[in-house]
Amino acid sequence: MTGLVGRGVERVDGRAKVTGAARYAADNAVNGVLHGALVMSTVARGEITELDTSAALASPGVVAVYTHENMLPLTVPPDFPYPKRFIPLQDTRIHHNGQPVAYVVAETLEQAQEAATLVRVRYRVAPPTALLADALDEAFLPRDFRGRPNETVRGDAAAALERAEVRVEQEYTSPMQHHNPIEPHTTTAVWDGDSLTLYESAQGVVLTRMVVAQAFAKYVLEQDIRVVSPYLGGGFGAKGPTWSHTLLTAAAARLARGPVKLVLTRAQMYTMNGHRAEYRRGLRLGATRQGRLTAIVDTSTAQLTRTEESIYNTSNSTLHLYACPNVHVRQLGVRLDLPTSSYMRSPETTAHFGLETALDELSYEVGLDPVELRVRNHLPAGPPASKYLLECYRMGAKAFGWARRDPRPGVTRVGDEYVGWGMATETHTYNAIPSFAELTIDEAGRATLRVASQEIGTGTYTVLTQVVADGLGMPLDHVTTLLGDTAFPAAAISAGSSTMPSVVGPVSTAARNARDAVVAIAVADPRSPLHGVPAADVVAEHGQLFVRGDRRRRDSYRDVVRRHGQAVVVNGSGPNTPGHSFGAVFVEVRVRPRLGAVRVSRVVAAYDPGRVLNHRTAHGQVIGGVTWGIGFALMEHTVVDRNTARVVNPTLSTYLVPVCADTPSVESYFVDRPDPASKPALGARGFGETPGTGVPAAISNAIFHATGRRLRDVPFTQDKLL
Amino acid sequence: MRAFGYTVAESPADAVRIAAGTPNSAFVAGGTDLLNLMRDGAQSHDHLVDLNHLDLARIDMDATTLRIGALARMRQVAEHPEVRREFPVLSQALLASASPQVRVMAAIGGNLLQRTRCGYFRDAGSACNKRVPGSGCPAISGHNRGHAILGGSEHCIATHPSDLAVALTALDATVHLLGPDGGRAVPVADFHLLPGSTPQRETVLRQGELITRVDVPRTRAATRSRYLKLRDRASFEFAVVSVAAALRLDGRTVGDVRLAFGGVGTRPWRDTGVEAALRGRELTEAAVSAAGRVLVRDAVPRDGNGFKVELVQRALVSVLGELGGVR
Ligand SMILES: Cc1cc2nc3c(=O)[nH]c(=O)nc-3n(C[C@H](O)[C@H](O)[C@H](O)COP(=O)(O)OP(=O)(O)OC[C@H]3O[C@@H](n4cnc5c(N)ncnc54)[C@H](O)[C@@H]3O)c2cc1C
Ligand code: SF4
Repeated sequence: MTGLVGRGVERVDGRAKVTGAARYAADNAVNGVLHGALVMSTVARGEITELDTSAALASPGVVAVYTHENMLPLTVPPDFPYPKRFIPLQDTRIHHNGQPVAYVVAETLEQAQEAATLVRVRYRVAPPTALLADALDEAFLPRDFRGRPNETVRGDAAAALERAEVRVEQEYTSPMQHHNPIEPHTTTAVWDGDSLTLYESAQGVVLTRMVVAQAFAKYVLEQDIRVVSPYLGGGFGAKGPTWSHTLLTAAAARLARGPVKLVLTRAQMYTMNGHRAEYRRGLRLGATRQGRLTAIVDTSTAQLTRTEESIYNTSNSTLHLYACPNVHVRQLGVRLDLPTSSYMRSPETTAHFGLETALDELSYEVGLDPVELRVRNHLPAGPPASKYLLECYRMGAKAFGWARRDPRPGVTRVGDEYVGWGMATETHTYNAIPSFAELTIDEAGRATLRVASQEIGTGTYTVLTQVVADGLGMPLDHVTTLLGDTAFPAAAISAGSSTMPSVVGPVSTAARNARDAVVAIAVADPRSPLHGVPAADVVAEHGQLFVRGDRRRRDSYRDVVRRHGQAVVVNGSGPNTPGHSFGAVFVEVRVRPRLGAVRVSRVVAAYDPGRVLNHRTAHGQVIGGVTWGIGFALMEHTVVDRNTARVVNPTLSTYLVPVCADTPSVESYFVDRPDPASKPALGARGFGETPGTGVPAAISNAIFHATGRRLRDVPFTQDKLL
Repeated sequence: MRAFGYTVAESPADAVRIAAGTPNSAFVAGGTDLLNLMRDGAQSHDHLVDLNHLDLARIDMDATTLRIGALARMRQVAEHPEVRREFPVLSQALLASASPQVRVMAAIGGNLLQRTRCGYFRDAGSACNKRVPGSGCPAISGHNRGHAILGGSEHCIATHPSDLAVALTALDATVHLLGPDGGRAVPVADFHLLPGSTPQRETVLRQGELITRVDVPRTRAATRSRYLKLRDRASFEFAVVSVAAALRLDGRTVGDVRLAFGGVGTRPWRDTGVEAALRGRELTEAAVSAAGRVLVRDAVPRDGNGFKVELVQRALVSVLGELGGVR
């Protein structure tokens, strides 16, 4: 090992990205490509009664207009990862506002867009229900989702709550939110006879291929579909599942007998590709006077639709984070006439906000420091897993200066601002999905890794390149990593924090196998200086192969493979198990109570993600997670009109996300010790979604500390503090 | 967006002639608002007349007046040394607007004519009296957190979004216009219209009429002026509530005060009654609070924007407190 893993290696794709050399999905120039534009419904519930495409068809450059009357019949894929559970343009029903009702194909983008404005649609309209508040009495317990129940019982929470010495009973709420990656969703579909290539912006090329194969079961075999997605301009979960625009574009290309490209508009991204569901959570905590949790009764309600009943805002942290003998979790849902929700940026944040705010309330009830309260309820990991959360509390508190905190609310002022300090535990589940990798060492002595994983902006190219370089004993710039193509060995979706835990194992195994294969060739080759040396005595470094203890006796990857006369190609696998990552975040806010204005002035966070594979990308993930956490707490909010169930703010100028001025620099610290439970991934756990999960609660807690006002409904806008 | 024609105007008169003679045409300056509206389908024009080559970008000041050409860019005005010295409120209002990128593109004339940020207005799929007269106002019974508490009608309660217009209104600026029938000057306070039953008519501009210049009188109060903008994020966001204030104190007594408010009215909001309640009085928090109550006496809060009644009064206390050194 040359020790690249762990170092803050710069992004290997950084230069390509900042110079524009990186080709994102919509950048692909496909010969003769036609352009698609969608016509969206302007009602939320009902039926199309009349659809007139004549003006659109007569418009210049228009090739075709597809509607439910002439669209290719498709098969609805059976389940997740096709969350929508219906395919538009297959019948006349309208399930939500902003549902495609026609697909225009034209020679240029402008022609397609203009023609889309000319399609006339009439509806029979039924009144929609848009908000949880308007249908709470219809809440029900949805059936299991992806093998997981929506109700979990441990001990007897009701009885324990009844007996508890101290209780906190509150409701915590959050609105609909949208992922808002900068790069819009896009598909370019190219048919060649009965095989199909899709240039996608997808977090999971393998799952996309599967869903497309299900939808096109009548027309194409899965093995004849190729999905290509080497770079993403952000996904945040929105590009994890497969959505209808992909299916419709492939269908349009088949009917139009030519390649078709579709790029969603920003407004369309508010109804086409999932969101964080509006959510209410009733939490009842019971504890002893010493602050030990004895009961948690957690009843949440999330928005569902009339076509599916999947809960994505799960209460995992209630179940797994703290030691509490009696827990009752119920995840209810209400059917509304809205688009389908889905996983969004650390989905467990939604529920975790309530838990970590309630714990802060409990800390004041029992008169304990919020960190100490959490320490008292610490739940050690079950073997073989590690959990250095106590270390995170210590590191974070020390770096922040938490010990100097005066717990009394509303006593610290600087100028006309009140200062508040708050903290929360951060945690998220990570997944581990069977993955495979292929590594080639060519006659130039260069290594090429192929794996159908994805680069979603988090640093996959960089970290996998480090792993390969270390495993082979090769310089970083002798290794090329290729991702995002179903032509490569299948790998995990880049969602659910699963990339590193799933893919590092197969990649490091492939690297080890490749090294062993080359060494075996060398020691068996009479022309090699290493001929006859026991393989175990050969060391690889900087692309050279040495005899241990005798550095002069050496060969190289290049020379071995060149003499061998053909590239060495090996595969790797390395199944892993899911788990959790942990951290603690400490936040300072400044509040001008008279004007209700809040700003976050300082953030310090400490994490236990197992082994850190790259400190730079890990810190980048922390910056991103904390920034989104600030957005969740202070501004993000998709506004849905109560009467029309239509999104009122589907633009980046009206859906607010934090800008630099809202975001202080973030200090991060890492325990950085390998988790034995994630051995295949070199001790690294999944970490992507952990940073930020505690930030909304930490901000709420800090606002309380600054002002004595407890906010339980995000976003914390001025009006709520007046 | 639909296909449209395009002409580059050579002179102000040329611009006016083309626009007046071409049905459904519009001027385009920076295009930072117009093109978004056209792309979103909220507005559509058959022809655009490009103003960017006109010699209307100058900023001059003499003993009595600051003259800002209609094509001066937001950034140019915000950073102009004399503007910063003599009219801090103007510079601050501009620097609190939009983003550096937008301010480089956007011109003063376009800024005054930018359209409301009401989400229903900007969504071609919604009803909206301003966009499609007679189609209804979904904001009144729907989402109206950002909407006006003053100057609304049963037809429209949208705010005017310009920060600059609020500052200019406080400063008694005058808008100079050139039309097919010659030039005229309109006080900025009369330039924007109340929605009444015709919310689609937002200003006194006639078809083909061009803004050539904005004049701002120099006053002592203007040199001691300030813009306070409260918003939902720290930058790149419109006002929830804003106050432009210019103040001249004679000792502790208010000699002169000019106030205008953003985010609360259907046009940049000036209420001389508020100023009268302060003029000649000692500047105390009690006096300012009393003046604030005058401001909101006719406020019509809706479901989502009731907090503005309180917030705008507090903002007034805050900004005059800072300007006058009282807290
Ligand atoms: C994301 C974003 C955030 C923003 N935030 C703010 C903010 O916080 N505060 C704020 O005040 N503004 C804000 N703005 C609005 C911005 O200030 C306006 O878009 C800009 O000032 C418009 O100027 P323009 O030159 O680009 O006008 P254009 O878009 O070119 O034109 C706007 C209108 O004015 C007309 N017009 C232009 N010049 C003349 C003229 N000389 N005579 C007659 N008619 C003319 C055009 O026909 C058109 O109808 C924001 C804009 C964006 C996009
Ligand atoms: S407030 Fe005015 S702009 Fe907004 S929807 Fe109503 S009429 Fe249209």
